[in-house]
Amino acid sequence: MLECLVSLESMSLSSMDVSVLERLKWLQQQQQQVLSTTNASPELLQFHGTNNDELLQNTFSHFQMLGSGFGPNYSMGFGPSHEAMDGCISRTNSCQMDQADTVGVMLNNSEENITIILKNKRKSEVKTREEEKTEKKIKVEAETESNMKVKSNLSNTEASSETSKQKSKAASETQKLDYIHVRARRGQATDRHSLAERARREKISKKMKYLQDLVPGCNKVTGRAGMLDEIINYVQSLQRQVEFLSMKLAVLNPELELAMEDLSVKQFQAYFTNLPVVVASKPSLMVDAPLFPLDQQGSLDLSVINPNQATTIEAPSASWETQSQSLYNTSSLGFQY
Amino acid sequence: MERQIINKKKRVFSVEPNKIPPSEVFTRKYTSHLVPALKKLNMNKNSSQVNQLTVKHEVDMALALSAQEFAWSRFLLQKLSSSNNPTTATSSSSNGIRIQERSGKEGGGDEDGEIEEKLRELQKLLPGGEEMNVEEMLSEIGTYIKCLELQTIALKSMVQDTT
Repeated sequence: MLECLVSLESMSLSSMDVSVLERLKWLQQQQQQVLSTTNASPELLQFHGTNNDELLQNTFSHFQMLGSGFGPNYSMGFGPSHEAMDGCISRTNSCQMDQADTVGVMLNNSEENITIILKNKRKSEVKTREEEKTEKKIKVEAETESNMKVKSNLSNTEASSETSKQKSKAASETQKLDYIHVRARRGQATDRHSLAERARREKISKKMKYLQDLVPGCNKVTGRAGMLDEIINYVQSLQRQVEFLSMKLAVLNPELELAMEDLSVKQFQAYFTNLPVVVASKPSLMVDAPLFPLDQQGSLDLSVINPNQATTIEAPSASWETQSQSLYNTSSLGFQY
Repeated sequence: MERQIINKKKRVFSVEPNKIPPSEVFTRKYTSHLVPALKKLNMNKNSSQVNQLTVKHEVDMALALSAQEFAWSRFLLQKLSSSNNPTTATSSSSNGIRIQERSGKEGGGDEDGEIEEKLRELQKLLPGGEEMNVEEMLSEIGTYIKCLELQTIALKSMVQDTT
């Protein structure tokens, strides 16, 4: 059973383009192989197969919902697929067998309390696999969304390496039936507090890693304190820059009005290189009318515009629209001149 | 009739957010907030009394309005609407000094405590950071950094164009 997981996680989950269907088949194959070696009944085999099938299909849909990386997508909700998960979880639970190894894979979300837990009954050869598996899962975890809690403890590798040797092989594995989706390494305390603590620490270290990529120059510094220092300095320097620029802007403000037309257009040219300079014929009309105060949503409140001016605005807006359409495939009125 | 069309178009704009890189969305929103606001400032205060505070206020306001999906923008908006005092200006400079001092003093001391201190510093930098727990704060810091970067780019280009 573990072999299948090893192979599962060894496949990179970095992009959401991973073909989960391939994984499904792989998993099924692996399961079948393993189960056949342990003389499980064929009915059980199929049951597992289908069970995991559904589970992984739900995983698939769940994955698809995930955004990529932190950033703005991070705060997206992951609601709908969880109800489906719950059904699968109960099915997995009921199919536990005493003799064969059973692998129940459950998906967990911290808010919804659904866990990805790997439950294994003990066999001696399985124990060594665990180490590999959890290590490989580290990579996976780093690349999945934080809400997908496929847990493995990177920080605990050091701690557990000492204690794991002490623990006897015959001891039963620490079952993690917690809802706090942490996988306890062998030889570690499995009481709720430490598990929760570990989960927390993992989340934090994941976020620190992300920040490390974001802040330039963080790679050279090791350790949390140094990194935090860097981050703090960077944020401060950015804030100071903004302050300085706004000061400059305040000084230059009187000239802004004249340069406004070119300014705004050039601004966009910096980002949307295909767009031509539209502000040609009627500068005063064009500039004054669209640049009305925006409402809170950041969209133009064109209703304020005089109906007489409306027709003249339509034309340039149309040209902008075609341009933006070519870029974005949406007819957007987000900002138009 | 036009209003309907306009409203329709407004809705269409945000339908497929994934196709437009969020940085562009942010920048566009930001400039669309800031430029008219500055213009209005200009028009209202016809005397050359556009002091730095109000501009900073507008700048921050534009930032907050263009990043409304993040928690810190809410806090920033609150701060801005409640007071017109430039809170960020003074605190940022003083924080810098404090960090250097502290790292010098603590040295090989309590490492966890040091990290805690730094996290607290970070929290102070982020608008509303003190009301968040650590994990939330860390992810918000990421987005805050991104938005600050985009903001500086936008401001730089604005300043460049006028000089």
